[in-house]
Amino acid sequence: MRRQKKTCPITEAGIRYVDYKDERFLARFITDNGKILPSRLSGVDARHQRQLAVAIKKARYLALLPYNRGHQA
Amino acid sequence: MSREYEAVYIFDAGLEDAAINDKLAKHHGLLGTQQEITLDHWGRRQLAYKIGTKETGYYVIARFHAEAKVLPEYERSLKLDDSVIRYLITVREHDLGAPPMTEEQLAARRKTDDDDDDEE
Repeated sequence: MRRQKKTCPITEAGIRYVDYKDERFLARFITDNGKILPSRLSGVDARHQRQLAVAIKKARYLALLPYNRGHQA
Repeated sequence: MSREYEAVYIFDAGLEDAAINDKLAKHHGLLGTQQEITLDHWGRRQLAYKIGTKETGYYVIARFHAEAKVLPEYERSLKLDDSVIRYLITVREHDLGAPPMTEEQLAARRKTDDDDDDEE
């Protein structure tokens, strides 16, 4: 049986540069707790995963995304 | 060498709009750029987490060309400004790197990927 090849959702969307300001888009690639989703689950290719990780970290600094959820002080 | 930068500011949401514009003009005055500074006011929004006691902030995005040597002073003034909760200055990367792949290139790439699979 042949495994279905995952295609990168970011490449599919025709996105060249992952924007740290687009928190709606970035939110698709974090878990419910706010962790960065591993590429083996999301199917994102390596180049975009690197961009994504940096973008998510910038967005967290700017309080667009949470560092964690379910741990409100 | 002049480079294109993008700055995001989060101002105290309690400030008047006029006061924010004054502050922006003051900080941007330090850049000494002739070209126009593109401003994008997102306005007041909920922060994803509390910063100190603040739960909302006024977001402004600015794009400008500036010389690298004027940045330290500009950044210092932002740092000293208590009404700026957070700021992030980045080199605008959109245009850096290789040009985007065309549709044909993408299709060709996918085809070769499939070929690799067959050999496995």
